[in-house]
Amino acid sequence: MTDWLFLAEVCLAGIGAGALYALTGVAFVLIYKATRVVNLAIGEILMLGGYAFLGFAAGWGLPAWAALPLAVLCGGLFGAVVERTLIRPMLGESPISVFMVTVGLGSMLVGAVELGWGADPLRLPEFVPNRPVFIGEAYLAPKVAYGFVAASLVIAAFVLAFRFSRSGVALRATAGDQGAAYSVGIDVPRVFSLAWTAACATAAGAGVLVGSIGGISPTMGVFGLSVLVVVIVGGLDSIMGALVGGLLVGLIEALAGAFLGGEYKLLATFGLLILILMLRPYGLFGTHEIERL
Amino acid sequence: MRIATLKTSYAGDEALFDTKLQRSLLALFGLVLAVFPFVAGPYWLFMACLVAINVASATGLNILTGYTGLVSLGQAAFMGVGAYTVAILELRVGTPFPVNLLAAGATTALVGAVVGLPSLRVKGLYLAIATIGASVILHFVFANWSLTGEARGLSMPPARLFGNDLDQPFELYWVIVPITAAMILGAANLFRTRIGRAFIAIRDRDISAEVLGIPLLRYKLTSFAISSFYAGVAGGLWAYFFRVVTPESFPLINSIFYLAAIIVGGMGTILGGILGAAFMTMVPEVLKLVVGWFSPYFPDALAALAPIRTIVFGALIVGFLIFEPQGLAEIWARVRRFFHLWPFKT
Amino acid sequence: MSECWTRRGLIGLAAATSFALVQGAQAQAQDDIVLGASVPITGVFAFAGVGIHAGIQDYLKIVNDAGGVKGRKIKYVAEDTAYKVDASVAAFNKITSQEKVSLYYGDSTGFSKTINPELERRGTILMAGASFASELNDPKKYPFQFMSGPDYTEMFGILMRYIAKEKPGARIAFVYSDTEFGRDPIEPGTKLAKELGLNVVERIVTPPTSVDVSTEVLKLRRANPDYTIFHGYVLAPIPEFITQAKQMNLRSQFMGTFWSMDNSMVQRMGEAADGFMGVMPYRYYYEKDANAPMLDKIRQMRPEYQSNAYMQGFVTAMLMVEAVKRTLEAGKELNGTNLKASLNTIKDYDTGGIFGVPISIPGNSVPVGRIYRFDAKAKQMVPASDWIRL
Repeated sequence: MTDWLFLAEVCLAGIGAGALYALTGVAFVLIYKATRVVNLAIGEILMLGGYAFLGFAAGWGLPAWAALPLAVLCGGLFGAVVERTLIRPMLGESPISVFMVTVGLGSMLVGAVELGWGADPLRLPEFVPNRPVFIGEAYLAPKVAYGFVAASLVIAAFVLAFRFSRSGVALRATAGDQGAAYSVGIDVPRVFSLAWTAACATAAGAGVLVGSIGGISPTMGVFGLSVLVVVIVGGLDSIMGALVGGLLVGLIEALAGAFLGGEYKLLATFGLLILILMLRPYGLFGTHEIERL
Repeated sequence: MRIATLKTSYAGDEALFDTKLQRSLLALFGLVLAVFPFVAGPYWLFMACLVAINVASATGLNILTGYTGLVSLGQAAFMGVGAYTVAILELRVGTPFPVNLLAAGATTALVGAVVGLPSLRVKGLYLAIATIGASVILHFVFANWSLTGEARGLSMPPARLFGNDLDQPFELYWVIVPITAAMILGAANLFRTRIGRAFIAIRDRDISAEVLGIPLLRYKLTSFAISSFYAGVAGGLWAYFFRVVTPESFPLINSIFYLAAIIVGGMGTILGGILGAAFMTMVPEVLKLVVGWFSPYFPDALAALAPIRTIVFGALIVGFLIFEPQGLAEIWARVRRFFHLWPFKT
Repeated sequence: MSECWTRRGLIGLAAATSFALVQGAQAQAQDDIVLGASVPITGVFAFAGVGIHAGIQDYLKIVNDAGGVKGRKIKYVAEDTAYKVDASVAAFNKITSQEKVSLYYGDSTGFSKTINPELERRGTILMAGASFASELNDPKKYPFQFMSGPDYTEMFGILMRYIAKEKPGARIAFVYSDTEFGRDPIEPGTKLAKELGLNVVERIVTPPTSVDVSTEVLKLRRANPDYTIFHGYVLAPIPEFITQAKQMNLRSQFMGTFWSMDNSMVQRMGEAADGFMGVMPYRYYYEKDANAPMLDKIRQMRPEYQSNAYMQGFVTAMLMVEAVKRTLEAGKELNGTNLKASLNTIKDYDTGGIFGVPISIPGNSVPVGRIYRFDAKAKQMVPASDWIRL
């Protein structure tokens, strides 16, 4: 009996953590869908969001409800600048080159944060209600629970925006066929810019959530590695895929951690990655477009 | 100024070093390398050995990424396989070190070929991500297998040659540098053979390569195996150099380092691998020197060193990709052309 | 191919490497005794490195201002390593090629292990460092090294001896990071627990990259230990662990080892810090009530709080200097063997109150420590036990 409860709690914890993966995965997919760029710096943008929040909340003494939007705004602004200065000049270069640009960007971000705040791990000011959440009898850590709610809201907003808003449709059109999008009068560079802005803003927000759970440090960018698995599993260009992939990876990590031991967490997720790459390289929901040889 | 490049035979056209001047200067450089250990202090010898090991590994990655067009972020993990192979052979079997190095290369080549299997289904970024997965799994094996000493890793005795322990940079220099030189020469020659040209054909357009009768499966795996062989030998040298191998010795960031080295040096040129690896290894040391000059005026300068190093590392990757995608090798070629044409065109 | 495989490329390399010609071994100015150090002033371990660096400097300043050891000054030559083993070894090579080094401070377990054969070959250097790895506490394998405190297993020993006294047969759990540092005392610690009659009910590994520890906390609750010992962390994920565990009404007492015991780090845990305990071999900077002249001196030199890493650097320098003093007084040559032998003669030695009790160094470690508990009101770690000697 208690074991069932334990299993349920582990699953809940996994799904809660998975929501954060999904949220970051959505940011990742957004960029890939619009610009075909695999952004390995996503973890570092998360980190930037966390530090921006810390700067506003602890440095300037702003309350959390003001600091959070400001951190998200910072992320968005950063995304726009990066797109304009680093990604746009790389248009037409091989995907590998652009990928490496984002790797370099990640490294620069880590250095910049260390320069500003030092290399020590820091804690974000507490802003999430601290009362434990119980679903039935099962305990759920409040931060994870609120993170889950926030992530679901944002993802739902994205899905709706994609379907109904003008920019969302423009983005989907660009993803489908860039040339055709141009010829019907869609401002493709603006779509690129928009995608980066929205994605980095989302990532910064996710960074605040992740940071509030585990604290922030210049090395928290490794979170991005698990997100890589999420988007490969879900399919690089599918929002739905990021959602399912995120929950799946969160669940598998939690189960592996609970029943095998902490050292198996990464092994389990990356084992899943290799499996998916061998069986369905385009992911569970991705477009079947990869050339097979 | 060079007057003309008249070649009267195919052999002459294919030669690695095509002019007398080139050959004589190369001989001079060889001489410098031979004299270097006698005039340099231990610190510079240490750095020279480190550079040589990194050059060997970067050259291996260049074969795979620069010449065959398959991106790998597993080079550091492959070096780990080589290093552990050497350490285990040294501790459990006690075979002489040249045998161990070859065994390290062979084992790593095998592992590399297995990791290369996904390259049959996916390419480009998907492959890069698959190799990240492979490094995570290899890291897990290193950290949890009793044979690899689990988290503590393995401490091993020095290499022995003719009854002497090779435990000083001065002695190891005579092992590491010649082996690296031989490996570079081997890589340069590889691309004068059918195999090497097949790699280039696959890089440039894999479908056309297949139409031309190049079996992709075989050649992609061969490329992985050769590249991993280089990583394995480099890892073996690394193990003899540091003599402690732990799972934390070969983090993912090192794989990124090697990829950055060949980007900065110039992908798809042998010279690029050499210049890039040497440059990227020396940059942190030079930065330390520069920051050292500033520290009397800015006492906090030293504390900013690590962040600056990280930033410079990233900025070098980004800067080279945007402004000089062909890397240092291209800058070098430009300088060379300038002298070739001088004084007629400047 | 000939296009890229150029002579000038090779010459360029040659030019780069021939810097070496400029760098020669510099002659030593006087008969200074040199303490070389690989210190992680930057990078992931910077918080400790900065403290260590300051601690060593301060103690040497005290010694040199008082005229040095038998009239010989002690010169401190440090290089930053960013906590990377290869950079550390490079620093060692650089410093030893420029100075005649008798004492050395190393920054990591990896470095201590890597450099050990070289120390044995040279036989001229006594080394200590920031690592308390159990493996290093073996005078046979590491004859020229020591650590200025208990090794990680001994820290576990001190904690568990305290637990066994407070609550015989208590259920304990270990939570540790999946690194060499984290795994170090787990096996011997488990064995020791059995000897002390304690019951190790759970051993939880966390991957070094993990952010979310909910699953691990669930496991901890299922095990329901009386005491939980964290090892292998500096800060994260300890606070979140404790917060969640307290929300689940877990009545466990949480404990840490040396590197997670610094007062400013524990303060950063926020609410979770209340009641956090752990083992410390040194007194804290602010302990005024104790009879500790050295602490008074430190407070005079540095009016602001100094970390436990500072104390570690300070006391390490002190023990090294003591070894030098005893060697010189015996009229012996300064080399590794003599220095280590002199170090091992230290018996009931008063460190000016930094260690709370007189210490002896029979082997490679100083197996002494005391349990401290965080007092949320005073925002300080306060003593919770007597000094415990193993």
